Amino acid sequence: MLDVSRVQKELAECNRDQAISGVGIALCDGGSDLSHLTGTISGPVATPYEGGTFRIDIRLPGGYPFEPPKMQFITKVWHPNISSQNGAICLDILKDQWSPALTLKTALLSVQALLSSPEPDDPQDAVVAQQYLRDHQTFIATARYWTETFAKRISVDIEEKVQKLVEMGFPEDLVRSTLKSVNGDENMALEKLCSS
Amino acid sequence: MASDDDPASSSDLEASASAAAAAAAAAEEEEEEEEEEEDAAAEEEESETAEEAEYYFSDNDDAAEETVLDVLADGGEEECHWSVSSVRVITKESLLAAQREDLRKVMELLALREQHARTLLIHYRWDVERIFELLEVKGRERLFLEAGVSAIENKGRVLSSSPCPITCNVCFDEVPPSRVSEMDCGHCFCNECWTEHFIIKINDGQSRRITCMAPKCNAVCDEAIVRYLVSARHPEIADRFDRFLLESYIEDNNKVKWCPSVPHCGNAIRVKGDICCEVACACGIQFCFSCLSEAHSPCSCLMWELWIKKCQDESETVNWITVNTKHCPKCHKPVEKNGGCNLVACLCGQAFCWLCGGATGRDHTWSSISGHSCGRFKEDQEKRTEQARRNLYRYMHYHNRYKAHIDSLKQETNLKETIQGKISISENKESKIKDYSWVTNGLNRLFWSRRVLAYSYPFAFYMFGDELFKDEMTPQEREMKQNLFEDQQQQLEANVERLSSYLEKDFQDFSDDLVMDTMSRVINLSNVVDRLCKQMYQCIENDLLYPLRTTHNIAPYKSKGLEKPSEVSICWDSCQSSRSTRTCQEDRCPTSESTANGVAEKTVLGKRSEAQLQGSSSSNNGGYSSSSSSSSRKRDKIDARTGPTFDLNMPP
Ligand SMILES: [Zn+2]
Ligand SMILES: [Zn+2]
Ligand SMILES: [Zn+2]
Ligand SMILES: [Zn+2]
Ligand SMILES: [Zn+2]
Ligand SMILES: [Zn+2]
Ligand SMILES: [Zn+2]
Repeated sequence: MLDVSRVQKELAECNRDQAISGVGIALCDGGSDLSHLTGTISGPVATPYEGGTFRIDIRLPGGYPFEPPKMQFITKVWHPNISSQNGAICLDILKDQWSPALTLKTALLSVQALLSSPEPDDPQDAVVAQQYLRDHQTFIATARYWTETFAKRISVDIEEKVQKLVEMGFPEDLVRSTLKSVNGDENMALEKLCSS
Repeated sequence: MASDDDPASSSDLEASASAAAAAAAAAEEEEEEEEEEEDAAAEEEESETAEEAEYYFSDNDDAAEETVLDVLADGGEEECHWSVSSVRVITKESLLAAQREDLRKVMELLALREQHARTLLIHYRWDVERIFELLEVKGRERLFLEAGVSAIENKGRVLSSSPCPITCNVCFDEVPPSRVSEMDCGHCFCNECWTEHFIIKINDGQSRRITCMAPKCNAVCDEAIVRYLVSARHPEIADRFDRFLLESYIEDNNKVKWCPSVPHCGNAIRVKGDICCEVACACGIQFCFSCLSEAHSPCSCLMWELWIKKCQDESETVNWITVNTKHCPKCHKPVEKNGGCNLVACLCGQAFCWLCGGATGRDHTWSSISGHSCGRFKEDQEKRTEQARRNLYRYMHYHNRYKAHIDSLKQETNLKETIQGKISISENKESKIKDYSWVTNGLNRLFWSRRVLAYSYPFAFYMFGDELFKDEMTPQEREMKQNLFEDQQQQLEANVERLSSYLEKDFQDFSDDLVMDTMSRVINLSNVVDRLCKQMYQCIENDLLYPLRTTHNIAPYKSKGLEKPSEVSICWDSCQSSRSTRTCQEDRCPTSESTANGVAEKTVLGKRSEAQLQGSSSSNNGGYSSSSSSSSRKRDKIDARTGPTFDLNMPP
C-alpha cells in the first residue's frame, strides 16, 4: 500500500522552498487522493522554456516509493525527450534507475534538468529529436513558440478567449489580430469585432 | 560368439554380398571412401566408423567378425567418452552440486565469499572462463564494480552499537540503530524499507540482482540480509528468493537449458563447447539445444521454425483454394474452375468471367466472352495462379516425402517390440548364434538415419527455394547444388529403405547361414547409411551453406545418435569439501539453511516443475507444445523409457 506518511512529508518538504527550487506539488484538482498529484516546473532560465510554467500529472503506484512514480506532461512541450503528442517523458530515473531514496521533488528537478539538457540520442519524440539535431534554429524557435503558446498563464487566457470568440462565429485570424490590438481585453475585442 | 568353425567368415560375407549387386556396389563405394578417409584421418573428428569398416573388411576372419559385433554392440559405451563429458543432465538433486562446482572455482581463485562469487557469476552468466579473462583485462576492481560486488573489506557493522536514532532516507522516519541494516556498499536504511524493497524485487522476478536502494548505487544486496529480513515477514517469498538464486544457474547460463519436456521432467541439460547441437535428456526426449524444439538437423533452427509454421497453417492450401475457386456473383457459392477457358458456370446456372468474377453471358471463345472485357486483370491473375500452383506443388513435393519418412519412423518404432520378440525367439533357438545385438544396432541406425532423411526434406525445401537464399545463388549455382544434394539424398534414401527391409525379415525362422547373411547385410548397410548421413552433413556444411553470406548453424551429425547424458555427480570429494565451506558460511549467515540442505532444495524444485508445467506458454516450451503431433510422440518416448534398459544410446 502507498506509504501515505511519506507522501505527506514529501509534499510539505517540497512546497516549503518552491520559490527557490522552481518545482511544486499539489493534490490533483484540489482532490484528496494522495496517489494522484500535479507537479509544476518553471522553465529553466536561458532555455526556450524560460518563463513557462509546466504542469505534470503524477500518479503514485501502490508500491511507491519502492516503485517509481508515473509522470507525464499536461502542458504541451516541444522537447526531444518528451512526447509532443501525449507528454510522456523519457527519463531513466522514472524507469529502471528509480531508487526508493529518490523523491517526487528530486524527480521533478530531474525533469527540469532534462528541459535544460535534452538527450536527443535517446529520444521520446523522434520528430523533435531530428529537428534538434539537424535544424537547431527551428527547434529553438518552435520550442519557444510552444512555451509562449501553452506554458504561459497569459497565453493560456488568450487561447481561451480566442476559442470563445471563434465559437461565437468570428474567423480565427481576425479574432487573434483584434485581441492583440486591444491587449487581450475580451470585451473590447468583442465590441470591435461586432462593429467592424 | 565367433567360434573357430564359424561359418561366416568375411570372405563368405563378401561373396554373398556380391550376389546382391546393390549391396556389392554399396560395399565398394564404402571401401573407396574408406581409403579417402584414411588419408584425411586427421580431419575426421572421430574415425570410429572408418575403424569399424576396416575391421569389417580385414583379412583376419575370425577376429574381424567378433570385433565388428563388439564395436557395434558396445559402441554406445565405448565411443561416448568424448560426448559424455560434453553433455550433462542436471536433476533437481544435482543442481546445487552443479552450481557449486563453478562457485567454488570462483571463490577459491578470487578469494571471495560465496554470495559475492554468485553475484559475479550471475552477472557474467556463469561463464567462469570469461570471468578469468575479464579479470586480466579489467582488473579485479572494475570487474567487481560492474557486477555489483562491493568492496568487501568495507564490512564492519559498528552502526548498531551507536545509540542515537538514524533517519531512514526512504520512509523519512527516525529508527533506532537496531532496526536498520547496512549493505556492503555502506548504504543504510531501515529494515522495514529494505524488506519492502526486497519483496517488490523478488515478486518482480529480479531476485538475482537486487540492487541497493541508494540512488545510482549498483551494489547487489547481501543475500543473507535479504533472506533474513524477508523470511521474517514472508517465509514463502524467501523460499522463492532461494529458488531463484539456485535456478540462476540454469536461467542465466548460455550453456544450460531446461529440458523442454511437457510435462516437465525437472531436468536441465548442460553442454560444453558449441551450443549449436542436439541433446537428449535423461527423460528420453531429444531436442535442439539452440531452439529447444525437437532435434531437427540437418535443418537449421530458422528453417525448422519456418517449416513448422508452414505445415501448421497450410498456407499453401489456403492459397490454392483462393486462387482456384471464385464465388459466384449470383449465389455466392465457391466455384472451381474446371476447364481451360475463362468462362465458368455455377451450379445455379450463372455464368461468369473467371478473371474478374463478373457475371457474363454464355457466348464466348477461348480468348473472349462476348459483351465482356476485363483484359487488364488477365495477365496478372494468370501469373499469380501459376505462381501459387508452382509453390504448392513444390511444397507438396517436399512435405510428402518428409511426412512419409516421419510416418515410416513411427511404424518402425512400433516394430521395435515385434523385433525384440524375434530376437528372444532366436536367442532361445538351438543355434550357435547367440548374439543378436546386430539387430538392435541396425534398428537404431535405421531410426537415426530415417530421422536425418526426414529432416533433409524441409532443409532442401528452404535450401533450394526462394524464401531464404534467393539472392544468394545464381540459378545455375542453385541447380548444381541441388543436383549434388539430391544425389546424396537419393543414395541415402535407397540404402535406408534397404536396411529397413532387411530388418523386417523374419530372421527367427532362418537357418544359421541365412541369419549370418542377413546380419552381414544389416551391418554393411548400417555402415553405408551412417557414412552417407555423415557425408550429407558435410556436403551441407561445406558445399551448400559455407559459400553463402547468411549463417545457418546446423547441429553436427552424431554417428551414435544422441546419448543420454550422464548426471552431474553430487557426491565427489571436491563437492564434499565445498559443502563444508558452505557450512562454515552458514555459521556466519544463520538464515541460509533453506538452500543448504537437500530436502528443502528438492521441494523447492518440485514447485518449479509445477510452475513450468502450468506456464507452458513460456518461451521455452513454445516451440515444443505448439506441434501436437510431435509432442505426443515425445510423450510416447518418455513412457517407453521407464525401464532401466538402455543398450545403445539411441532413440528408444
Ligand atoms: Zn525506512
Ligand atoms: Zn548502496
Ligand atoms: Zn527431460
Ligand atoms: Zn533448433
Ligand atoms: Zn451460383
Ligand atoms: Zn469455354
Ligand atoms: Zn472479366
